[in-house]
Amino acid sequence: MVSQKTKVINPSGMHARPASELAKLASKCESDITIKVGEKNINPKSILNIMSAAIRCGTDIVVECSGETEKEDLAKIIEAIESGLGE
Amino acid sequence: MRDCLKGLMEVNMKTIHVERTASKGIAIGKAYLVDKTDLNISYDTIREQDITKEISRFEAAVANSVRELEALAVKDKIFDTHLEMIKDITLYDSVVSKIKENRQNAEASLEAAIAELIEIFEGIEDEYMRERTADIRDINERLLCNLQGVKHNPFENMNEEAILVAKDLSPSDTASFNTDYVLGFITQEGGITSHVSILAKGLGIPALVGVKDILNQIEPGDTIIMDAENGKILINPDNNTLSLYEKERIHQLKRSEQLSQLKELPAITKDGRKVSLCANVGSIQDIKKAIECGMDGVGLFRSEFLYMDNTHFPTEEEQYLVYKEAAQLSGPELTIRTLDIGGDKALSYYEFEKEENPFLGWRAIRISLDLKDMFKTQLTAILRASAYGKVRIMFPMIISMEELRMAKELLEECKKELDNKSISYDKEIKVGIMIETPASVLLVEDFAKEVDFFSIGTNDLTQYLLAVDRGNNKISKLYNSFHPAVLRSIRHVIRAGHKNNITVGMCGEFASDIRAAKLLLGLGLDEFSMSYREIPEMKNMIRNNSYEEAQAVAEKVCEKITIREVYEVLGFS
Repeated sequence: MVSQKTKVINPSGMHARPASELAKLASKCESDITIKVGEKNINPKSILNIMSAAIRCGTDIVVECSGETEKEDLAKIIEAIESGLGE
Repeated sequence: MRDCLKGLMEVNMKTIHVERTASKGIAIGKAYLVDKTDLNISYDTIREQDITKEISRFEAAVANSVRELEALAVKDKIFDTHLEMIKDITLYDSVVSKIKENRQNAEASLEAAIAELIEIFEGIEDEYMRERTADIRDINERLLCNLQGVKHNPFENMNEEAILVAKDLSPSDTASFNTDYVLGFITQEGGITSHVSILAKGLGIPALVGVKDILNQIEPGDTIIMDAENGKILINPDNNTLSLYEKERIHQLKRSEQLSQLKELPAITKDGRKVSLCANVGSIQDIKKAIECGMDGVGLFRSEFLYMDNTHFPTEEEQYLVYKEAAQLSGPELTIRTLDIGGDKALSYYEFEKEENPFLGWRAIRISLDLKDMFKTQLTAILRASAYGKVRIMFPMIISMEELRMAKELLEECKKELDNKSISYDKEIKVGIMIETPASVLLVEDFAKEVDFFSIGTNDLTQYLLAVDRGNNKISKLYNSFHPAVLRSIRHVIRAGHKNNITVGMCGEFASDIRAAKLLLGLGLDEFSMSYREIPEMKNMIRNNSYEEAQAVAEKVCEKITIREVYEVLGFS
C-alpha cells in the first residue's frame, strides 16, 4: 500500500463538480483506494460517498492506494486533487 | 378580418373548437407533446427465485439511464454529476442488498436506498450539500422511470419555442422546463382556473384547457395556430391562414402598445369614482412587470412560490429578503397572502397524506394553524418586511371566527417577540381575510368588525358556493361566477365591508373578466386585483364607464334569478 497527504483546494470544497471528476478518475483505477478525512474513510469511486463527507476547502486528506498499479494510481489521484479537479 | 378567417377553413387543415379560454392571445408554432405516465410501485415481497431477475432489472435501468445522461451531459454539466451518481457503487450495493435482504423488487429497494441517502445528505451542515438531495431525488425518478419503461422528464427535448400539448401539467411539471420556450399551452384536462391557466396568464401567453381528445388529434411537430381569442385550434394550417393570423397577432401587439399609454393615468370613471387596479403576483419578476403595466399595488402576493420552488420550508431570513424587496417595489400596497397550499399545490419536501377531497381538506390556513412554528416564521418575516413598505397580511380560506382570532393571536405573539428584540416593523400593519368560503360570506358582518380589509377570492368562492369542482371537465359548464348566488354573495360582502368602513377587493379570475367589470364597479368594489397583463385593458374599461350608470346596471343584475337573465342585462349571451 502507498499513501500520500494532500489538501483540497477547491474554493467551495469537494462539491458536486469536483466530486464527480474525482469519482470518474478513481473508478478508472485498478487499485483499492481510500481517502482518509479525519476519522472518516471515503471510497472515492463513489461520488455519493465523497459528497456526503462534505469536505471543505483547505481540509487535509490522505489518499491510500493498494493493488498492482498503486503507485501510478496514487500519483494520478494526487495530481488531480492538487490541480483542482477541473475547476 | 374575422370573416376572412372563416372563409379559409378548408381542406387539410384541421380545426378544433374550444368552449372556454383560460388565457387569451394568439400563438403560432410547432406542437410539443408531453408524454407523461404515472409510476406504480409494488411493495409486495418477491419470491427467492426472482432476486436475480430484480437485480438485472436494476442493472438494465442503470444502463438505460446512463445512456440518457451521457446525451444530456453534452449540453449541461449537471448531468455529469447525475451520471456519476447513477453509476455509483454505494447506491448499487445498497439497492442490491435491499433486494436480497428485504425481498422487495427493484423499485421498492431503490426507493429505500435513496431515502437513506437523502437522510445522510440532509444531515450535512453545509447548505450546498444539503441541496444536492434534489439531484438524488432526480436520479431516483430517472431510475424508477426506466424500471417502469416510462419517460423520465417529458420536457427534456424541449429546446426550441413550441406550443405545449399535454394531458395536464402540475406545478412540479411546470417548474421543470424553461417557460421562455413556451408559446402557449393546450391541455386535455383542467379548468380555466387550474394551475396551467394561472401560470399562462402570469406569463402573458395563451392557454386552452379541457380540450377533449387533443392528444389524439395532434402529432409532434405539427404546426399549430392557437387562437385563444376565439377558442380555436388550427392544425397544419395553409399558408394563407398562417399569414392572416400572423397579421392578427401583430395587430394585437399594437393594441397592447396603445393601451400601455394609459400606464401613468389613474383608474377613474368618467364621473370621478376611483378604484385600485392591483396585480396578483407569484414572484418578484411579476411585480416588476406589473409596474410596467401601471399597477396601483399588489393585491395578492402568492407566498406559495417561496415554498414550492424550494427544497425545504423557507427560513425566516429567506422569506424576509423576498418580502422586503417586494415591499420596496410595490409602492402603496403589498398584500401578502399567507401560505396557501394543499388542494392541488403540494411540496416536494413535505409529505401530505392522500385525501379523498383535497379541496375540502387540509389546506391553506388550516395547515398554518396546525404547523404553528412554520406559520410564525412566515408572519415574523412579513412583519420585518413591513418596516420597508405598505405591507398587509391576508389569511386564506377562513371559515370561522376561531380561525381568524387564532391567526391574529399568533401574529400578536410574533410582534411581541420582535418588540423584545427591538426589531422594527409597521405597528399599524393591516390584517385582512380572503372571502372564499360560503361560511365567511354568511359571517361577513362579524368578520368586518375584526379585520381591516376583505379580498373576495372568486375562484374558490364559486367552487364552494356552487359545489362544482373547477377541474372536472364534465361539470365545468356549471362553474360560473355569473351565477346569481355568487353575484349576491359579492354584493353582500361589499355592503358589509362598506358599512364597517373597510375596503373590499377581489383577487379571483372574476376581477379581470371584462364582461363583469361594469357590474363589479357598480357594486362598489374598491380594488380589482388581477394578472398584470389584464390591467391596461381593465383601466381602459373603467375610464370609459360611469359609476352612476354602472350602479344602475349592478342593481338590475342582482335582481335576476338566472344566469341567462344576468347575461341579458349585461348585454352578452
